[in-house]
Amino acid sequence: MRHGKYPFIVGFLFAPVTLYVVFVIWPYMQAFYISMNAWRGFAVPPRWVGFDNYTKLLTEDDRFWRAVSHNGILLITLPLITIAIALFFSFLLSVGGKSKSGDMAGVWGSKFYRVVFFFPQVLAVPIIAVLFQTVYRPNESGLINGLLMKLGFDPVFFMIKPNLALPSIIAVLVWQAVGFYVVLFSAGMGSIPKDLYEAAELDGASPVRMFFNVTLPLLRDTLQVAWVYLGVAAFDAFAIVNVLAITDGGPDGATTVLALEIYRAYGKNDFGYASALGVALFFLTITFAALTLRVTKREAIEY
Amino acid sequence: MTTTVKDPAPARPERPRRTKKSVKSQVNLFNGMGQIALLFWTLLVVVPIIWVFLASFKNTTEIFSSPWTLPADLRWENYSRAWTKARVGDYFLNSVWVVAWSTFGTMLLGSMAAYVLARYEFWGRRAIYFFFVAGLAFPTFLAIVPLFFVVKQLGLLNSHTGLILVYIAYSLPFTVFFLSAFFRTLPTSVAEAGIIDGCSHTSLFFRVMLPMAKPGMISVAIFNIIGQWAQYLLPLVLVGGNQDKWVLTQGIAQISVTAGYEADWSGLFAALTISILPMIIVYGIFQRQIQSGLTAGAVK
Amino acid sequence: MPPSTNPSLLSRRALLRRAGAVTLLMGPAAGLLSACATSSDDGDTSTGGTKSGTNPFGVKDDAPIELIIFNGGYTDKYAVEIHEPLYKKAFPKAEIKHQATPEIKTVLQPRFAGGNPPDFVNNSGAGSMDFGALVADGQLLDLTPLWDAPSVDDANKKVKDTVVPGTVDVGSFNGKPYVLYYVSTVFGLWYSGKLFKEKSWAAPTDWDSFIKLLDSMKAAKITPYAYAGANAPYYQWNVILTHAAKIGGADVLKNIDNLEDKAWENDAVKEAATLWAEVGAKYMDKSHEGLKHTDVQLLQDQYKVGFYPSGDWLENEQKKDTPAGFEYQMIPIPAKPNGQMSPATVRATAGEGYIIPAKAKNTAGGLEYMRQMLSQAGGKGFADLIKSPTVVVGASDSVEFPPGTKSSQAALKAAGSDVVNIFFDGWYKDLDTEARAATNELMFGRINADAYVTRIQKKADAIKKDSSVTKFKR
Repeated sequence: MRHGKYPFIVGFLFAPVTLYVVFVIWPYMQAFYISMNAWRGFAVPPRWVGFDNYTKLLTEDDRFWRAVSHNGILLITLPLITIAIALFFSFLLSVGGKSKSGDMAGVWGSKFYRVVFFFPQVLAVPIIAVLFQTVYRPNESGLINGLLMKLGFDPVFFMIKPNLALPSIIAVLVWQAVGFYVVLFSAGMGSIPKDLYEAAELDGASPVRMFFNVTLPLLRDTLQVAWVYLGVAAFDAFAIVNVLAITDGGPDGATTVLALEIYRAYGKNDFGYASALGVALFFLTITFAALTLRVTKREAIEY
Repeated sequence: MTTTVKDPAPARPERPRRTKKSVKSQVNLFNGMGQIALLFWTLLVVVPIIWVFLASFKNTTEIFSSPWTLPADLRWENYSRAWTKARVGDYFLNSVWVVAWSTFGTMLLGSMAAYVLARYEFWGRRAIYFFFVAGLAFPTFLAIVPLFFVVKQLGLLNSHTGLILVYIAYSLPFTVFFLSAFFRTLPTSVAEAGIIDGCSHTSLFFRVMLPMAKPGMISVAIFNIIGQWAQYLLPLVLVGGNQDKWVLTQGIAQISVTAGYEADWSGLFAALTISILPMIIVYGIFQRQIQSGLTAGAVK
Repeated sequence: MPPSTNPSLLSRRALLRRAGAVTLLMGPAAGLLSACATSSDDGDTSTGGTKSGTNPFGVKDDAPIELIIFNGGYTDKYAVEIHEPLYKKAFPKAEIKHQATPEIKTVLQPRFAGGNPPDFVNNSGAGSMDFGALVADGQLLDLTPLWDAPSVDDANKKVKDTVVPGTVDVGSFNGKPYVLYYVSTVFGLWYSGKLFKEKSWAAPTDWDSFIKLLDSMKAAKITPYAYAGANAPYYQWNVILTHAAKIGGADVLKNIDNLEDKAWENDAVKEAATLWAEVGAKYMDKSHEGLKHTDVQLLQDQYKVGFYPSGDWLENEQKKDTPAGFEYQMIPIPAKPNGQMSPATVRATAGEGYIIPAKAKNTAGGLEYMRQMLSQAGGKGFADLIKSPTVVVGASDSVEFPPGTKSSQAALKAAGSDVVNIFFDGWYKDLDTEARAATNELMFGRINADAYVTRIQKKADAIKKDSSVTKFKR
């Protein structure tokens, strides 16, 4: 069928593509350009400085490297912890229960749990950040410390102790993310054919064995996507750190991440430098995504 | 005397009873541990949210002295303060307005683009598809300064129209991505039948293909609603200059800063509740669709 | 767009296979961007009015004026109830557009960037704009015409002669006045007069009696000393530096402001840091590092904290939560008597900055508004409402100030000419950030005084070497 095809295609693509080019592609290209300039963001023309911003970023800015290292820590821990917890729960919720009439089922109350676990996903990040401010408060008015102190323990300084601050932030990110992946993995697990599980059960496999030998391999694609997405989230982490951490990604830079450094550079009206940081973030994200996909590339299991 | 037919010999040798029993107890233990873990996580999720709800009825002293006690009174005035004085009411309605329009626009334009990219061959198709998909990896932070100027030059700064158009543009990557895959799975036979019957491409899309894509459309729409409702950076930059146009997320952020100055924490928590409740209700109603949407995408 | 942790459910392989195909067109972008950036076209359209004795800036009488006020410790009531009506009386046909916000930068940055800033800005608070950056890019109006204009009350006097001496200088950068600092602000250590009376404690006059008092407070189960580590450590470096001036003289601070070599590693600074580090180790609550300023101030209002460092806006800021009879009182930073400056020395300045953007539509209106603020009526109205004196001489003579302000004004008087000031935090934001982080490290016991001064010095040296940072001197 050829007649009328091209006008139709152009007609249908015109609005979305235009919108996209104008508001997304064009600004991103400009951002690369700004990163080669010094500019305060007032109505004064930018001043070309070539790669100066990048040199400064790589050689003089120790906060940049600290931020990158924190992003790196997030990159490893966030996907690992989230996926581990989510897999455990989704396994319970889809196949961990007693099977009745040959059907794999979840534990009692699966439906309810699945709904509730998703709640943190529907909360906007600024809201979660403000919420956890109260959770982590270092004296008796904090949710956790209030309880601890009632029981006679000393308060825990979540956001103050340099080596507790970053883990506390990771905990919040995990809290928000797990629910979504529980639902995602449950969906994936639900599509694994029952007879594979039955065969395994007849062979005397315990739930643990079934999980590692049946479920996990068949979820490979979903896991890979989850890993990439959580990794990107690790690079994008900003609002939580901005609201929860004390004094500019503190204590003393113990929790700063790249996005926060970009925000601070904007705050100093140093737009050229901020854009250079943004470009660095962009390349890091792309590299991570590329590496992950290449390394975990495998033939899909046919069944 | 009837002869009973003997059961055929089992195909496999009988397993020793021992293994079956130990597996069963393993299953029980697993189940038990699992239930405890599930309950624990449920508490983790639900307690902070309930706490915020309770705190919204307290006053400042109660909030700061002992967080685990119940409020002495149902102080509804915290809510009226949040709704009017802190303007949460305005922000809420702004969010609804903006998200409604941009979700509509996103689904319309996104599905149109996804459909064409998925089912038609033409020069440049791969490049255009690539550009949409690449958008998923771009950190929004990088683009906001030039974006600000682009919007300004179009005269759309501090307007909801501008914000809506930008929301649509930034939602296209995910939408096109998801929906292209979906459209590709739709059977060609129906399309061919439609064309033979004399349908134009356009009416084919709107009358036949789009309705068939309903499940996918619904889940993508819900994800877009959730994501756009939660947007913070874009409204901060694009409508930050005019408080009348603010949406809920930037409003909450500002209230938490003001609470720092005026110490109106109870108002802040009332505002938080106002922002949380609608999303939980929407999710509660649509959670079926969300889960089936994820299933649709997860299977291959 | 998807929620932040939502996966796209298709493979990204397609994306990455074509990664090489992305080309960046930078050439044409350059020209277009400068067109984008310099897009300010709205010039000043309102100096059409005729200049006269009562209208020295030539304000057009029906030109609208747009004000943005910081909604923080002082709220914006004074603008709405005092100053704007004064302007309206002078120019009844002018429409006044008023906006208040606690985050100035969020609202103002886009306005400045877009070349259409408002006519008058109260640039203050934690989210304020960087004065240094604004000046460096020529974004602020030179206020010389304001200071040279005749005052509202006495046409024979220039405005600059009706204000407290030093006001013009405080708002000047490299000699040119750009900022109007309006409120007389004194810094010191604050406590509750009522609490002291109940416990029969006397305000300490020197360092040793200060330490003894801290011990008594500790015995009475009150946190003797506190400051907010989460968002206001600058309150504390203020204390350390003021103390350093008492030990080593006012030049200690001048050298720090001027980025002189080894300014921070001066013995006076080291000594002050050491003394206060001991206070931090023995008399502070470690959890306060995670609290914001209003949280700690609330604790003091509940009689749980003894001394708290702040400026004299504190009383007004805590108005809503202060119990009756609390009686805020202030003392200068205690010091040993053998220093270069008397122990009564205080840091005092004019605080609360107001600016007029150079590219505003109605700059003349902005100047006139400032002139009205500096009239006797403006100064008195503000002082009546906010209970803080302004820089307008004599305007607050008849105002009955609350105990806190009375106390700080008395301390200011007692200091006489021994008044110091600090500027580097307004000039070099990075140095302020470093000082804040280092102060928390010092006061909460993670580094010692030597490390403290060394690391801040390192930052100061780096800034001095950085040619892209505009330098200021005093």
